[in-house]
Amino acid sequence: MSITQRVQQWATFGRVWHVYDCSYQNPFDSAKVIVKYLKGMQKPIYHPMNDCGDHVVCINTKQIALPGDEWTKRAYFHHTGYPSSATWTLAWELHSKDPMMIMKKAIYRSLGGNLQRRHTMQRLHLFKDDKVPQEVLDNITNQIRQLRPVPQRLDHIDQEVIDNFPKIMDYPEDYLPKAIK
Amino acid sequence: MVFLTALRLTRARGPDEWWRKRKVFKLAAFFYGRRRNCYSLAIRSLHRALVYATKSRALKKMDLIELWKQRISGGLESHGLEYWQFMDGLHKSNIQLNRKVLADLAAFEPATFESLSKIALDVKEAENDENSNKN
Amino acid sequence: MNHSQFLISGFLRPPFYNGVGRQINQLQRLTIKFCKSHGGSKGMRDFIENHLVNYAKENQSVVVYVKPRRHRSPVIVAEYLNGDRRWMSAQNRNHEEILKWLSLLSLQAGDTEPIRYRKNWHTDCPSIQGPWTPFTHKNPAFNNIAFPDKELGKQLNMPETATEKLLRLVQEQKNTKNE
Repeated sequence: MSITQRVQQWATFGRVWHVYDCSYQNPFDSAKVIVKYLKGMQKPIYHPMNDCGDHVVCINTKQIALPGDEWTKRAYFHHTGYPSSATWTLAWELHSKDPMMIMKKAIYRSLGGNLQRRHTMQRLHLFKDDKVPQEVLDNITNQIRQLRPVPQRLDHIDQEVIDNFPKIMDYPEDYLPKAIK
Repeated sequence: MVFLTALRLTRARGPDEWWRKRKVFKLAAFFYGRRRNCYSLAIRSLHRALVYATKSRALKKMDLIELWKQRISGGLESHGLEYWQFMDGLHKSNIQLNRKVLADLAAFEPATFESLSKIALDVKEAENDENSNKN
Repeated sequence: MNHSQFLISGFLRPPFYNGVGRQINQLQRLTIKFCKSHGGSKGMRDFIENHLVNYAKENQSVVVYVKPRRHRSPVIVAEYLNGDRRWMSAQNRNHEEILKWLSLLSLQAGDTEPIRYRKNWHTDCPSIQGPWTPFTHKNPAFNNIAFPDKELGKQLNMPETATEKLLRLVQEQKNTKNE
């Protein structure tokens, strides 16, 4: 193989690092997108036996948003192997113990079962907030788009915007909102 | 063959038995364990293997089509098109390239593939304009 | 396991770019063995008497050896540039058949073992424009972006939200009033 062909090979199979911001994203929908990048399915050279998967850095996993009442209803099962050691941990409980575990399990599950799964998972890098080591940040050259908009909090909006927001009527000055019990 | 008694004649299974079995053993040569050397086991697993081979001839084509689809949509990732939009656009522009060629183009001639995606994108935009004019 | 029972798989490959610049005849040496008296060599003897000189003149790149030996069957041995050696019996063949076999042997490239082709085509240069790389269609502006970037991470093609629609309607109302 000549030197140009060798360099061509390195370029074609070069691993790209993507970053994905998990804040306010559904981990189970996001997992399907992230898996595509982990397996290299977004490349025209894809083949299931072709080692062309990319790295994905997931940040802000602490900020994920589970749909509906899944924080209290979704249970994660674990068994150490010893008798009567089965545990069912609720999603909110698991998330308070390890804020990366729900995202990790969602991706691990959507990778599907084959022998390559554990090796593919090695290319996933999870961070609970946006404090990512510089050596990881240096590698990143692409960003995966989020699936849904991040809601804006009222206390983060400028006072000017709030004042100028169109309204049908003004509340009277002596209006008292209903007391919260 | 020469038979000295009638008994031998009836017992003889014909000269072609060895050759007949040899044909089977040749096909079963890569099987595991006794299935490779014992005729009764070999013929049984050979029949199964041949059935699999027949069925997989169709499956192989389906697998390849799936792979080409995946590769084409992978190539379209950076051109802002979906697979069905791309194929629809090409079909309407009377470009009759099949999925295999398109997948090869995506990997080996990326500039050509980009031009094709631009053609499909034009078709899509023209359709969008038509729809908005109707409304 | 006896590997000779299987077809060897491989790729279609011309020997050393033969024919790209000039064509080199791959047959290098031809050894003809025959008997001067035996009946099985009769066709071979006819061939040597009447056609061999013509054949050697037409194929000047081939070295032809003729080797008589007593009471052995006639044999053709062809040796090729890539080191392959093809042995062939010419027992009871007449001179026409031998001529046909020789012309076949001199056209071949040596490797006459049947192989199962992995692909029906082969090229050393599969790509004219250069194969795809992750950087082929990349916007160079990405080099100057500090990831993670807020705008790049935003979802695309979202439908208009109720807030946006309200603001738009109000703006339209204001515009019509001003007119």
